Amino acid sequence: MPLAAIAASASGQAIDWQTELKKADGKTLRIIMIQDPWVKAFDTIDQDFQKITGASVVVDSYSYDDLHEKEVLNGNSKSDAYDIIVLDSPWVGEFQQGGYVENLKAYLDKDAKILQWDDFVPTFRQVADWKGSIVGIPFGAYFVLFNYRTDLFKDAGLNPPKTIDDLKDAAKTFTKNSKFPGVYGIGMNNQRGAAVGQAFFEYIFNFGGKPFASMYPGSPDPYADMTPEFNSPECIAVVQFFKDLVQYEPPGALNMAWDQRANAFATGRLSMACLWSVREPILSDPNRSKVDGKFGTLVFPTNNGKSVPPLGGWVMGINTSSKQKDLAWDYIKWFTSQEIHKKFVLLGGPPSRLSTMQDPEVLKKSPWIQTVYESQSQTFADCRPRIPESFQIIDKVGLHVSEALQGQVSIPDAMKQVNEEVAALLKKAGYKVSETTQP
Amino acid sequence: METIQDKQRPSHLNSVSGGRRKPLHGVASFFRHPATPFLLPAVIFLFTLTIYPFVYSVISSFLNFSLTNPRPPTFAGLGNYLSLFADNLFSVAVLNTGLITVASVVIEFLIGFCMAHLFIAIADLKGSQLLRTIYILPMMVTPVVVGLLWSYILEPLFGVMNYLLSIVGVAPQPWFSDANTALWSVIFVNVWEWSPFMMLICTAALVSIPRDLYEAARIDGARWFQTVMKVELPLVRSTVLVGIIFRVIDNFRMFDIIFATTRGGPGRATEVISLFAYRQIFQYFNAGYGAAAAVVVFLIAMIFGTVAAKLLPREIHHA
Repeated sequence: MPLAAIAASASGQAIDWQTELKKADGKTLRIIMIQDPWVKAFDTIDQDFQKITGASVVVDSYSYDDLHEKEVLNGNSKSDAYDIIVLDSPWVGEFQQGGYVENLKAYLDKDAKILQWDDFVPTFRQVADWKGSIVGIPFGAYFVLFNYRTDLFKDAGLNPPKTIDDLKDAAKTFTKNSKFPGVYGIGMNNQRGAAVGQAFFEYIFNFGGKPFASMYPGSPDPYADMTPEFNSPECIAVVQFFKDLVQYEPPGALNMAWDQRANAFATGRLSMACLWSVREPILSDPNRSKVDGKFGTLVFPTNNGKSVPPLGGWVMGINTSSKQKDLAWDYIKWFTSQEIHKKFVLLGGPPSRLSTMQDPEVLKKSPWIQTVYESQSQTFADCRPRIPESFQIIDKVGLHVSEALQGQVSIPDAMKQVNEEVAALLKKAGYKVSETTQP
Repeated sequence: METIQDKQRPSHLNSVSGGRRKPLHGVASFFRHPATPFLLPAVIFLFTLTIYPFVYSVISSFLNFSLTNPRPPTFAGLGNYLSLFADNLFSVAVLNTGLITVASVVIEFLIGFCMAHLFIAIADLKGSQLLRTIYILPMMVTPVVVGLLWSYILEPLFGVMNYLLSIVGVAPQPWFSDANTALWSVIFVNVWEWSPFMMLICTAALVSIPRDLYEAARIDGARWFQTVMKVELPLVRSTVLVGIIFRVIDNFRMFDIIFATTRGGPGRATEVISLFAYRQIFQYFNAGYGAAAAVVVFLIAMIFGTVAAKLLPREIHHA
């Protein structure tokens, strides 16, 4: 790295990208990623990369399940169709153990001054690290924020809830209330599969429970003992809470997932919704939202004293089979640098750096980022397991919780079934699972 | 002694014409057959896209085969099949698939038969051709698009259907989001898309019935119901059976509409075999287990096809 660039970076000045990035005229860099609202920001930002390096950037984006499927199949077939793989936090273990992505540790050490690794959200740095291997560089950290309608709460004379019990009471107040016609208390992710499966993991730590024996905030090794505890009283309480809330949700609540929940809040039909922060720019856009200027955000509510806000999001890894690894790294270090990351956030990207979250220009444009900053220090990197089996575990939870919400089985029976199936799955995969799965 | 005809006949034909030269068998005869160059593209196509994947699936179904495991697959014997039949979710998927198939095909036939009668009755009216074209449009749309379209229409909060119901004072219905209505909503969408197919089949069969049979029935004093039961159904049976076979096999493979609307939920209310196999192979990457489910779908479809083919009248077999 040129000395001038190091000095510029360390002093907070703009990096001389012309000398920092290699020329790659005529080359095409291909990226595979999630089809989330901020993808179009890449079109704007990537033009700058093309001007500097001469390389064009092609971004292919897919829905969540399709993306996982395509990336795993690409990894297995050692395809070089994509140079950069954008992966979600629960897939980190799977992609590292499958050898689908490079260990970026050496790259990171080489360009430490540019990357400013310590500036990324600490728990998201842990997310990107699997057994000492840096699987990807963070660029899209998501946090679940509690959203509420400031105008409705003011009219009702209520303070926004801080605990989950308060949240339930508030949901009751706003549902079928002639003072608030057409408004429902809350919208939850109840749809079978990943939607309700992930929702379970969002709430369990805030009920004081844990999904596995050694998986809890502050655990020295969350994967040391993978004995499932899905039939614990806390886990059952989470599902009971989901079921209790259904009466305060809009029609069709049991098939509601991320998009429907956010749309219902954006169209003014919900008084509250706990949403992934990626949706916040849409809520603040008057062209796409009826609640612009009428909603506030708070840290995720909890019944356990200190909130554990759900953390997720995306890191950029380099495909092990790529034939353009140097170009891919040039792009990653450029895109995730402080300078470009701020541009990305101003265009609607999710903030992942502490400096960006505290930047006055960013906060002026998106005040909700203050809540993101408050949330980040309380997050738990393993709030969803990051092992190769996590997709299947979340889906199993999602199936049986959905059955319980439908009343097809009792909640204890559903969670007992989850426990047995997950225990069998993890035992077969070689994890430490005690015979007695009942805590 | 060689005949004049034998001498004049090109040598490669002798092997297939029962001439005195030793006939060629198997692969050799195939490659020397004059039709081979014309058949070869179709054979290659069939082998690459149908036979090879099918054989690969059958082999995979007997293996412990995980797409995410870098170690080579190991032989599982009947393990995948035994696990499959012990899997409660798979049993539900089989039952749901059967229910969707039976309900859809019966309703499609009833609607298709009635609509065929209607279009025959109004055939002389101006615009009837246009109406028929409009009616068959749904079957020209990709099933996944049909699924998405209906998921918007039946969306409980913002969908058009609940809005229309609210105008006449009916409370919003959960459609795809309640275990009691989800399966029937899926069947409704399926029937909406495919009853035009059954209408076309029934129309073709009905117009081929000689008019004098109707006149004879009328002279004998048959009512419309008796005409349908004693004249029409026996005569359209063979044609309609072909349509039913197609639709039953289609329904056994049903995936797109459910994937776009309910993804098998709520709970396991709309779980079907194809979705089960898809989830195992492409989401959990348990290729061996998923392949076993796919083979079971194939076997059920094959058994049904064979039995149904036996039911077809003799003239269809000879056709």
